[in-house]
Order: sequence, then structure tokens, then C-alpha cells
Amino acid sequence: MELFLEVCSKLADGFITAFFLFALTLIFALPLGLLMAFCTMSKFSAVRIPMKLIVWILRGTPLMLQIFAIFYLPGLLNLFVWPQMNTGWAWFDTTFTTRFIAALVAFVINYAAYFSEIYRGGIESISKGQYEAGQVLGLTKREVFFKVVLLQVVKRIIPPMSNEIITLIKDTSLANTIAVYELIYEAKEFMVVKGLIWPLFVAGGFYLIFVGILTIVFGKIEKKLDYFKA
Amino acid sequence: MNMLEVRSLRKSFGDNEVLKGIDLTLKKGEVLSIIGSSGGGKTTLLRCLNFLETANSGEIMVGGKSVFSAKEGEKPKVTPEAQLSFGLVFQQFNLFPQYSVIENLMLAPTLRAKRKSTVGKRETAEEIRKRAEQLLFTVGLSEKADAYPCQLSGGQQQRVAIARALMLSPDILCFDEPTSALDPELTGEVLRVIRSLKDSERTMIIVTHEMEFARNVSDRVIFIADGQIEEEGTPEELFVNPKREKTKLFLSGGHES
Repeated sequence: MELFLEVCSKLADGFITAFFLFALTLIFALPLGLLMAFCTMSKFSAVRIPMKLIVWILRGTPLMLQIFAIFYLPGLLNLFVWPQMNTGWAWFDTTFTTRFIAALVAFVINYAAYFSEIYRGGIESISKGQYEAGQVLGLTKREVFFKVVLLQVVKRIIPPMSNEIITLIKDTSLANTIAVYELIYEAKEFMVVKGLIWPLFVAGGFYLIFVGILTIVFGKIEKKLDYFKA
Repeated sequence: MNMLEVRSLRKSFGDNEVLKGIDLTLKKGEVLSIIGSSGGGKTTLLRCLNFLETANSGEIMVGGKSVFSAKEGEKPKVTPEAQLSFGLVFQQFNLFPQYSVIENLMLAPTLRAKRKSTVGKRETAEEIRKRAEQLLFTVGLSEKADAYPCQLSGGQQQRVAIARALMLSPDILCFDEPTSALDPELTGEVLRVIRSLKDSERTMIIVTHEMEFARNVSDRVIFIADGQIEEEGTPEELFVNPKREKTKLFLSGGHES
């Protein structure tokens, strides 16, 4: 029992790190993805084509590889080395190492690429009539997007977005490859140091519970947007 | 004075010339119906007037002031005032689904009152709501103010769309086949509302397939075929004694489109 509590406490630490990676990735990747979606839909080919290329690479290579690339490439190219130290920033009991920051950067750009395609699909699915109605009522393009189109897009992309976001919390485990002390890293420590396998399954329980909560939250959001048809 | 004057308006999509030089004048308070078979250019004309399409050349004047002027190969600019000279009611209503009926009416005037570029008097939220309520009463939908578009019938949605267009007090209100997307039993209520809007102040252009309606409501009718005005006249002249062969042919059986 004592051992179980020790495992749970360690895993909880790991989960907090995973959760921060998850939450910060969303905070940055959701707006960045929208920006990237606009770029891929740009009428200027100088903007559109490079962005399509970037999205292709980000979606076309493993996230784990991208984490390695972000962490090691700057050093290999003699640009800079992620310093082996604490950033000194701390929230609750979690300190953010530079490894965490490197992982975060990789997650943000990778997920922004996926989000951008979801946004694009959503934006392109809105009927032309909505834009035209906005225009003849004298709305600016900005107003048409933010006041008329956006909420309809949000409603349409909630199901694919919830899929991606559920995948994200599980993908945070990939950060263990550059020694970010997240949930799987902590569980593996018990395997390596004490030869215990079962903490890994307890870690699985942590993900499962969190995904359960996310599922309920997305169900609530969907319900909230049920009042109109778009 | 002419409320609207259109001079040799041309529009092509690629090699396909859809409007081959349209000339048109409209007096204040006049109701003009545009009839003609599909693909003849009547909807394109309406869309050019509302700047949803940019005419390749020609001029549009509202109240004696030029709001659009283009020569071949130039890209003309459309000012917000020019845009608001015209209002448009769409075939597919195009209400904003996430807003209630009253919010649909209030959205554009509210944003307009907030916009930095707006010149002249700024309406208060109170005034906007009051006008919206009045217009809903005009179209007979006061009790639906808080309903959402998906809760309304097609005819009710179109009446809301009409009220929404009127909120911006356009000089010229255009209707693009306002009843074509409706079940036959719902067209009556929409046509009644449009007819009730007719007064000496309100200038309207109606593209329609409803010949009876065009005949009853219009002061003048034009028949467009192949991108040109084929015939123009009072409803009597055009429907009872059409002069051109194409008009006769269209009126005798060309309604199916």
C-alpha cells in the first residue's frame, strides 16, 4: 500500500508536467493553427506554398522525430544548445526545464499544423451566402469572419478538434524521449529502478480518467452549441 | 430625379459575356421587376449592383452620385457608402444561424454604430432595437423576435431577411428570386410583405419568376435575354402586348426555368 501511494504521488507529479505540456500546447497551437490556416488559404502563392510545404512536413514526419530535431538540431547546426538547466520558472511544484520548453515548441508547431487543416476544412465548409450576406449589410471582412463565420466554424470543428485534443494528452508521453519528466517517464523510472511493470498501467489509468473528463467537457460544448444549425 | 442610373454595364466570366451593356434608370419609389430565363444575366445584374460581382465596365449612379465606375482592365473601388446604397434579399435567405431573429436585424447597424469609419450620427443600441422591433412588426413576425432561424419556416426566414435588409435603409432594395427556394404554399406571405413595402419612398428591384406578382407589383418590367435588355415597359405593355418575339416566346411557356 505504501508503495502504491508512492507510485501514485510520483505519477501525479508526472501527470502535472504532462498536463502543463497539454494545456500550453493548446494555448499556443490553437491560435497559431488559425493563422496557418489563413496562410494555406492565402491568394498569394508566396505565402500559400511555403505554408503548405511546412504543414506537409509537420504532418508527414513523426512527432517524436520533430521533438528530437527541435532539441538536438540547434546544437548540431552550431546555432545554440538548449542549456542543461532549470529555466527558474515554476508553477505549483513543477519547474520548467529547458527540455520541457523544447518539447513544448515541437508540440505547438506539430499540433498547429493539424489544427490548421481542421480550421481550413471548417472555414471552407461555410456557405458563400454567409459572406455575401455580411458584405451587402456593409460588414467589413474582419467583422464577417469574427461575428458571422467563426462561431459556425467552431460548431463544425468541435468533433474533429476533440479527437485531436484527446490524442494530444496521450502524445505528451513522447516528451519522455528527451527526458521530460512526464507521466510515462515517471512510470518507466519504476520499471528501470525497481523492476516494477504495474506503475505503467496505473499511468494508463491517469490518461484514461483525464480523457474521460475531456469527453464530458466536449459533450457539454457540443450541447451548448446545439441551439443553432450550421 | 433618377434614383438609379446604370450605364452600359458589362460583365464577363472568362470568355462568357453575361452582361452585354445594360442601361437602366429608375425613379425614386419605382418598383422594377426583371424577368427572363435562367442564365440570361438577371441575377448577375443584381449581383453587380450589390458589388458581389465587379462589373468589367460601366457606371452606376445613385441619386445622381456615381458610386461605381469602371473601364475595361481597371479595378474599381467600392466604398462602404456605395455598398449601403443597395440592399439585397437573397434567394437562400442567408440569415446568420447563430443569432436570434432580432439579433440578425441588429447586428449590422450595431457594428456600424461602433465602427471608427462611420460618418454622421451614431445610433444607440436602444434606437437600433426599437427600429428592429418596428420592422419585425412590419413583416408580421413580432412574436418570433427571440427565435432562431432554424426554428422558422422558409417564408418566415425570408421575411426576417427582408427586415434585416431594411435595417440599413438602403436607397434601392433588391430581391434575387425571393420565393424560388420556398414551398409554393409559403410564397404568398413573402410576396404580400414585399407588396406592402411599396410606397412612394421605397425604390425596389425584383428579379422574379412569379409573373403574376411581377405584373401586380411593378411599375415597370424589363425582360433580359442573353445579357441584354430585350424589352422594357409597363406591366400592361410587356405582359399583354409584348412586341419582341423573344418576349412572346418566354411569356408563352418559358416559365419553367
